[in-house]
Amino acid sequence: MIFDVIFRNIHLLLSGLGVTFQIFILAWIGSFLLGIGLGVLRLSSRKAIYWPVTIYIQTMRSIPLILVIFGFYLLLPIITGKSMPSLVSAVISFIVFEAVYFAEIVRGGIQSVRKNLIDAGYSTGLSYFQVMTFIILPQAIKNMIPSIVTQSVVVFQDTALAYVIGVKEFLRITTLVNVREVRSIELYLFAALVYFCICSFGSLLARRMEKRYGG
Amino acid sequence: MSKNNTIIEIKGLNHWYGNFHVLKEINLETRRSSCVVICGPSGSGKSTLLRCINGLEVFKEGDVIINGKSVSQCFHNHKELYKLRSKFGMVFQHFELYPHMRVLDNITLAPRRVLCLSKNEAEKSAMALLEKVGILEQAYKYPANLSGGQQQRVAIARALAMNPDILLFDEPTSALDPEMIRDVLKVMADLAKEGMTMLVVTHEMGFANAVADEIVFMEEGNIIEHDDAVTFFKCPKSNRAVEFVDRILVHI
Ligand SMILES: Nc1ncnc2c1ncn2[C@@H]1O[C@H](COP(=O)(O)OP(=O)(O)O)[C@@H](O)[C@H]1O
Ligand SMILES: [Mg+2]
Repeated sequence: MIFDVIFRNIHLLLSGLGVTFQIFILAWIGSFLLGIGLGVLRLSSRKAIYWPVTIYIQTMRSIPLILVIFGFYLLLPIITGKSMPSLVSAVISFIVFEAVYFAEIVRGGIQSVRKNLIDAGYSTGLSYFQVMTFIILPQAIKNMIPSIVTQSVVVFQDTALAYVIGVKEFLRITTLVNVREVRSIELYLFAALVYFCICSFGSLLARRMEKRYGG
Repeated sequence: MSKNNTIIEIKGLNHWYGNFHVLKEINLETRRSSCVVICGPSGSGKSTLLRCINGLEVFKEGDVIINGKSVSQCFHNHKELYKLRSKFGMVFQHFELYPHMRVLDNITLAPRRVLCLSKNEAEKSAMALLEKVGILEQAYKYPANLSGGQQQRVAIARALAMNPDILLFDEPTSALDPEMIRDVLKVMADLAKEGMTMLVVTHEMGFANAVADEIVFMEEGNIIEHDDAVTFFKCPKSNRAVEFVDRILVHI
């Protein structure tokens, strides 16, 4: 049987997938929340807020993710003076990197909310913060759901890059198994299949939601 | 017109969008409990005028005095500005109900967050307001499931929930089917009768004739004519107002 190597090592592979999901969930929550913050701030009319945020976003969009991961891996211990587990370092890298993509989605979503609806909130005496929290963001996020799901699929794929600093996520585990078994074709084919299934499910979800919320 | 009976006083108000002079030296005084109808061709600055009065628009020149309080003074202080706006209720052409909230939550949002009423208190008075505008049975629905006329009455209830001193209406019936217009106008007429101060941008000359105390006619950012309702309809002074009223009456 061709895939016996996978059954033999299914425990290891699943634990790697578990770590991948762990990174994904932490990175997703962090980058989504940070993305909302950045997206809101980027719409500020104050130059002292708009410019730093814009520069940050542009910078992150111009650097390959792998460099950000290496950067944090090398710099964090120097800055904090403590050694940092590679998993933590990877999650931080994902958060600061992926957040800018969520920020751009959030910005678009906020701009899609009708001005008069916002003014309706202001006209009852609500503050900027309250209008943002209770009226704009719920609307904006609803409009953004398909883009958010699509970006989340990208985040999931990106978690594989934690490999480069030695995090024992799914791809790394696959490689480790391969070192012992030397069955690279079967193992990497299996890894590709797993990513394919999970991401296809995500894309399908995005399309369903697009239909449901009218794009 | 005794001074302390004046609730809104607009003094030398000018506003620009970029280079476009949208409001030109507007002067207007409104008495407490009066209903003022503002009409005029599209683009004449009626909506902008309303938005300047409740501080939604940060106007460039002149001032608006509400109950003796200067609006332009509030521009430097967000808290004051929010407080000023809460004294107004505003009703829009396209209702602008929060689509993700039930009717009841649309109405209670500001009373709970701005006036810090408890959920119970806010809901109790919201239900009373819904009853007043005749749609109590819609309280737990979402706006999308209501007819236009019902949505607009929810919007009026939402505006009333803050116990405003002044209600501003910006073409409240322009997006409605004829049979629903009547329901909304009825609610507005009742409010006027109860002594609510109202500024109403509308082309419903029937309403203006029956309910308004004063009519303001605007064109290209100017107030062309400002009369009591009887004078405006019987013998308007400006030719432009005559033409406008004729055209609208023919249209109806
Ligand atoms: N936010 C804005 N930016 C630029 N121009 C505007 C804006 N709002 C309104 N205008 C312009 O100002 C003029 C007056 O608009 P408005 O007050 O809405 O008129 P009305 O309500 O009488 O139809 C119009 O020519 C409109 O195009
Ligand atoms: Mg208008």
